[in-house]
Amino acid sequence: MSGAAAIEPPSAEAGPLARAWRSFRTTAGNIARTRHGAAGCAILLMLALVAAFAPLIAPYAPLQQAPASLAPPSWENIFGTDNTGRDIFSLLIYGTRTSLAIGLGAAFGALIVGGAVGMLAGYFRGVVESVLMRVVELFQTLPVIVLVLFTVALFGSSFWLLLVAVILAIWPLQGRLVYGQYIRLRGMDFVAAAKVADLSTAHIMLREILPSAIQPVIVQVALDASVAILIEAGLGFLGLSDPNMVSWGQILHVAQDYMTVAWWTSLFPGAAICLAVVGLNLFADGLNEVVDPRMRGRLAGLQT
Amino acid sequence: MLRFILFRLLHAIPLLVAVIFVILLMLQLIPGDPVQAMVGDFPVSPAFRAAITKQYHLDDSFPVRVYSYFVNLLHGDFGYSYQFQKPVLDLIVETAPRTILLTLVGFLIAIPVGVLIGIISATTRNKRVDHFWTSSALVAYGIPTFWFGQLLVLVLAVHLGWFPTQGMGPLVSRAHGFSWLWERAHYIALPALAFAVHEGTRFARIMRASVADTLGQGYIITARAKGLTRWAIIRGHVLRNSSLPLITVAGYVLGSALGGAVLLETVFTWPGLGLLLVQAVRMRDNMTVVGIAIFAALAVIVINLLVDLLYAAIDPRIRSGS
Repeated sequence: MSGAAAIEPPSAEAGPLARAWRSFRTTAGNIARTRHGAAGCAILLMLALVAAFAPLIAPYAPLQQAPASLAPPSWENIFGTDNTGRDIFSLLIYGTRTSLAIGLGAAFGALIVGGAVGMLAGYFRGVVESVLMRVVELFQTLPVIVLVLFTVALFGSSFWLLLVAVILAIWPLQGRLVYGQYIRLRGMDFVAAAKVADLSTAHIMLREILPSAIQPVIVQVALDASVAILIEAGLGFLGLSDPNMVSWGQILHVAQDYMTVAWWTSLFPGAAICLAVVGLNLFADGLNEVVDPRMRGRLAGLQT
Repeated sequence: MLRFILFRLLHAIPLLVAVIFVILLMLQLIPGDPVQAMVGDFPVSPAFRAAITKQYHLDDSFPVRVYSYFVNLLHGDFGYSYQFQKPVLDLIVETAPRTILLTLVGFLIAIPVGVLIGIISATTRNKRVDHFWTSSALVAYGIPTFWFGQLLVLVLAVHLGWFPTQGMGPLVSRAHGFSWLWERAHYIALPALAFAVHEGTRFARIMRASVADTLGQGYIITARAKGLTRWAIIRGHVLRNSSLPLITVAGYVLGSALGGAVLLETVFTWPGLGLLLVQAVRMRDNMTVVGIAIFAALAVIVINLLVDLLYAAIDPRIRSGS
């Protein structure tokens, strides 16, 4: 351990956590200075606050029924009410929680699964590489959405089942991205140097290569979150999301039958989904610009 | 080139087998009576039960069942849908062309629009025109297709009455020739538009990035120094060199759309594979679900193969395998 400590630069008085925090603050500051990044950060911050303080913001409890069903927008119900008299504005506020939980949960799940597979396949050559990449290919070919519909219809829907299903649908992209990064980096001199220094394989993969590989991967996390939110909304729209949770897609499912007489049941939930997806994409654009200044003015997300 | 094609084919077959295997594994996971799982919510007489058990080897071990299923598949037998009272293959053959039609019409709109917007914003990079198109494309891309479809139906079909609200046309039509085509076009217009807006803006984003990349290359400066006009440069040097990323993504989109655009078809009640899938899932018509899943995987594999060939045709470096 003393040998490892000696490698640390002398200026690093603060622990690794403090240094991570400092680099996070710099990156966040840089993102906020890009045009798209600033807009994206603002939208995401707003959604996060709405999700965190939902009970304080929502004027009604999500399932509380007003006397008038399908009431148009008014001062009492600014986005109107649905067919059972629930306040749509309050439903949207609480639905933010579901969407963000699925979006972020699935994106990080995909990061862990795809990251692990991509790392192992990219670092080790030979059998490990070819077997793992065939698995990635298999999952990219499987009609995951078909299987998700099937599973949800058979076993009923729950938050965790949805989360796993969405992760299974989106992880191969992240896996491919990490794989590409590790393939690019595994032949570099600093990796060879680390091998000569007899550092452990885990150390080389996680402490040496990972910091150089991580940036486009983080951009992909933001994009994955937006795709996950769209998938959850789609399942909700088909009436297949968790019936015990309020979600934007579910409101649209109900709205399908009433939208010709009550446009507000469809307009506002869709706009909320749109806002979250656009926010995440703007954030990814900003992040991409910071990560790779040559990309200034270009767009992230070639893959999604 | 032939060798390249053969190599890709050899690669695709084990993949298809693996995909089918996983899908069959899902079928095994269905709790309860396996005969009922095959048939769905449908009363089964004992004679029927015995016949199904024998046909699908349900009394045998899992490997035997998988093997016999593969043998059935190779004979073109995808099973029988007891809900629709038809062989599953017939159902797929009947509905798949509708999905293919919708997807192709959507693509015919999305590709030129996406390419055009991408080129416009890449050549006016970071100017006002670019900002306008980039931001519009971003917002349009964030709109969920099914919700956009709902809005289109609400405004253009219900309120203005310009288009029918659902379906793909009357079963019996008096119209002939051009007016028949015109009638059908009214039905496909809205679903194709909803599809094209989402995918077109996706294509625009990709085109912008790759055209911007190409414009920075040395040979573009050479072309400009030779005095070629902007249009000649774009047509002769930029388009072909920037098309590879677009082909990759377009292939991915096409492959997944052919397996049934579930949400889009649900919104517009377009009677394609997606709608069939939703119905089959609701009625627990599992043989149909499995059949559609296999078809969807096959579509992805075939499109990927075509994308590889197109790649090789466009970029000689890939053909030679370097």
